[in-house]
Amino acid sequence: MIKPKFDELIHAPTRLSLVSLLAATEWADFQFLRDSAGLSDSALSKQLTTLEEAGYIEIRKGFVGKRPRTSARLNIVGRAAFDQHVAALQEIVAKAGVSVFPTTP
Amino acid sequence: MNDQVRPEEAARALAEIGQRQEQVIRLSAIPTWYWWAIAVLMIGFTAAVETRRGLAIGIGTAVFVVGVLAATGRVVFRSVRSAQPRNDLLGPGGVFAILGFVAVTVGVSMAVAFPLEASGISYPATVGVSVAAVMLVIGGPFLMRYLQGRMLANRSGSRR
Repeated sequence: MIKPKFDELIHAPTRLSLVSLLAATEWADFQFLRDSAGLSDSALSKQLTTLEEAGYIEIRKGFVGKRPRTSARLNIVGRAAFDQHVAALQEIVAKAGVSVFPTTP
Repeated sequence: MNDQVRPEEAARALAEIGQRQEQVIRLSAIPTWYWWAIAVLMIGFTAAVETRRGLAIGIGTAVFVVGVLAATGRVVFRSVRSAQPRNDLLGPGGVFAILGFVAVTVGVSMAVAFPLEASGISYPATVGVSVAAVMLVIGGPFLMRYLQGRMLANRSGSRR
């Protein structure tokens, strides 16, 4: 049973998108994260650094041929924080009832 | 902060989480062309072996090995270049589905080939593998859809 715990750091819209992507992956490529979240290189670097400093993600830098390749993944701490955050969101929604779910267009 | 988050905002955040995770899972699909490529390579290789001619076997083996490596490499490279879904999203059900699919495909292939060989029909293994190839082309995309369904059910925040 996951204990609900709201996480302000994760809840910020851009980081929520990034952490959600990372939560479903083993390792995610920098380019993939950048394109998926619609961020610039510098904006993504900044967000990844924030998550790394919080101890939520691991960043791996390597080379494929001569090209530098950066990947990131959610570590155990980050995964636990994300699961707790999701549980907190679910709790908020559950208390309010199902009427708050956005309708599909 | 928890008290300051409105239910509508929480619901939107959950929807965003679900959408992002689905994005990763959808990317993991093995493309249809891959099943066709493997099916054709399997038939070609088996037919080459059954000719019992050294040159045909050599060419068939080379084409099979290069073809499988190229096709698989392309699929794997695409996955590594973007994002590889977490292994545990598949769950035991997904692993059993993959093993079951392989076992049924190989089993049917052998069940077709051995009686044909016993009856003295030429190219029995090629016929057997052709049946397995049809199963791959038809069943492969179904297997992928099933596996994606499992992964979607096992992602964070899904209602289990």
